Amino acid sequence: MFKWFLSHQWKELTRSNFWQKSLIINIIIGFFMLIMFSYLVLLGLFIDEILTELYPTGDIFTIFNGGLLYYLGADLFVRFFLYSLPVINVESYLHLPIKKSKILSFILLKSTLNIFNVLPFLVLIPFALKVVKVDYSVTLAISWLVLMLIVILNNSFLLHYLKRRFIDKPVYMGIFALLMATIIVLDKFHVFSLSDYSSSLFNFLAFNPIYIVIPITILGLVYGINYSYLRSRMTLEDINAKKLKKVDSLSRVKYLDSFGELGEMILLELKLVWRNKRSRSIIMMSPMFLLYGLLFYPNEDMSSLGFLIFVGVFMTGGIMFNYGQYMLSWESNYFDGIIASNIDFQKHFRAKYIMIISTVIISYILTIPYVYFGTNVLLINTATFLFNLGFLSMLLMYFSSSSRKRMDMAKSSAFNYQGMGASNWIMILPFFLLPIVIWLPFKFLGLSEWGIGAIGFIGIVSLIFHKSLMKIVIKRFEKKKHLIAEGFRES
Amino acid sequence: MIEVKSLAKGYNGTIVLDIPELKIEKGESFGLVGNNGAGKTTFFRLILDLIKANKGEVLSQGIDVKKTVDWKSYTGSYLDEGFLIDFLTPEEYFNFIASVNNLSKGDIQKFMDEFEDFFNGEIIGKGKYIRDLSRGNKQKVGIAASLMTEPEVLILDEPFASLDPSSQIRLKNLLKKLKEEKNLTMLISSHDLNHVTEVCERIVVLDKGIVIHDIKTQEDTLKELESYFAV
Repeated sequence: MFKWFLSHQWKELTRSNFWQKSLIINIIIGFFMLIMFSYLVLLGLFIDEILTELYPTGDIFTIFNGGLLYYLGADLFVRFFLYSLPVINVESYLHLPIKKSKILSFILLKSTLNIFNVLPFLVLIPFALKVVKVDYSVTLAISWLVLMLIVILNNSFLLHYLKRRFIDKPVYMGIFALLMATIIVLDKFHVFSLSDYSSSLFNFLAFNPIYIVIPITILGLVYGINYSYLRSRMTLEDINAKKLKKVDSLSRVKYLDSFGELGEMILLELKLVWRNKRSRSIIMMSPMFLLYGLLFYPNEDMSSLGFLIFVGVFMTGGIMFNYGQYMLSWESNYFDGIIASNIDFQKHFRAKYIMIISTVIISYILTIPYVYFGTNVLLINTATFLFNLGFLSMLLMYFSSSSRKRMDMAKSSAFNYQGMGASNWIMILPFFLLPIVIWLPFKFLGLSEWGIGAIGFIGIVSLIFHKSLMKIVIKRFEKKKHLIAEGFRES
Repeated sequence: MIEVKSLAKGYNGTIVLDIPELKIEKGESFGLVGNNGAGKTTFFRLILDLIKANKGEVLSQGIDVKKTVDWKSYTGSYLDEGFLIDFLTPEEYFNFIASVNNLSKGDIQKFMDEFEDFFNGEIIGKGKYIRDLSRGNKQKVGIAASLMTEPEVLILDEPFASLDPSSQIRLKNLLKKLKEEKNLTMLISSHDLNHVTEVCERIVVLDKGIVIHDIKTQEDTLKELESYFAV
């Protein structure tokens, strides 16, 4: 039976939408993964030197062990939020004559094959080879690694249980984090030292391998708890429980009604963004754009005008790019309904336009305090704001008709590249560079300020002609709508 | 009312629909039957201008559906769940459809009252998003929304599938009533020969994209169709 499970899982993985994107993007992702992995290996190789630097006296192995309890705590915390429970599609197996215990064991074993269980060893193995083996012995290195494996598996199963149990109560995790923070502070001021306990604990276990039975027993226990918890809840509604969410307060919003059909469409856009996991997570991350200024402004080297223009476009337009790029893909679930119904595309796009310019205006207002770093900053941000408001918003809507990829809105956006075709990637960059391209000729003529003025001017002119520009946008959309719909239908 | 002229649609060289000529009169109830892949949905999508034909055109009241959107104001349609805005509640969805069609609050209320039986207390006021409804209930929302605007033409793709028996009967009665009272033109596809012969006065059988039967419904039509589909 396990053979079948494994082969089904393998097929699910290899046939997943995750890989169904262009080769180039796969290569790019692969490249970044490789870089990340090699950083971890490097960390493992040089962590002894880092530790010697930090703690010139003391035994490295002991110091390393001292950090382990902290690591395990942090690991629990991070996993709670990032780790998705391994749910094999139990529905497709429950009605077949397969023993429940088999399905359960498979679910639990599958949870061990997890990136969080693998990554630590990229650090631990080099450390064991370079430090533990050399300073102590091969046997110690091996028994220590085995110990680590057991401890990490312990964490993995523990989290698996906690997450199932407390998935709707992240507040417990908040308390846990607070507790951890308190302990770190106490450790820092030598009131209570968790790191000492951690050192003695892991040193003891490593030097007395016979006591490894204790963590193994705990592992068995945690596994058992998981097993019986799942066992008692192994019906469809429990295992793949989709919590039915109560309707949110947006449904009570009435004042947009007074704007008639347009108000109704804006409300629809708001609901679209807010009620779907995918779009919500993208929007929630957007305020990060506003912090870019803090990275660049205080830094003298990076305050050349070119940089500042780039930062300005990015900050006043970041949310707009995130929304505008996907504004049609986000509708892929019901796009047929949109084009078959009596919806006035003019108004439909107008609602989107209002959304876009609202984000730009809000972003601009929020970046005004950056005037602290000089009036120059405010001037540039104003110019790029106008440019985003008038020109880039239209350009973005014009190119939104190029989207052809369906998006599953129920999935969150982290590491999810579905619906982000090559066109989306290529699209983003020129947008940021465009204002700089406008500004550069002025700069070479020694008229930098005029260049910034020109950026703002183009924005104002396009704002004045926004009605005609909108017509062009809609014309393109009407020409492309069949292609878009066809793309969205192929999932 | 609806006229098809040398319509053809193919994907990658395979023809999925080829209808040289077909006319549907005003007030006619037109049933489309055929096995999977016969081209029923493709045909409806072409009528609704959801896909582009390789050749030919569909005229609605004499005007090519590709050229204008005027037909949308008198055409109600529901093909599949792709028509539903799944993150809205049914009420919000109906309000939205009403709004794009310029219906008043009174119209919405009248509509809700008329469909109360059909909804069977499972749609309105449940505090659920459409995406959390069962398939049958989603189908009800879609069908109801298509009828909301009191259209002159109604296009439904397999409306009886996934409805419960009572709802199937209610829907049949509703469609018959609309035809008699409002002279509604209906285009309905179905796998269920019973339903379609009961509701429609004209049945067209599609096979691999080609019209192979075009018959007026009579007493023995059901038998005729059954013998055609028998294996």
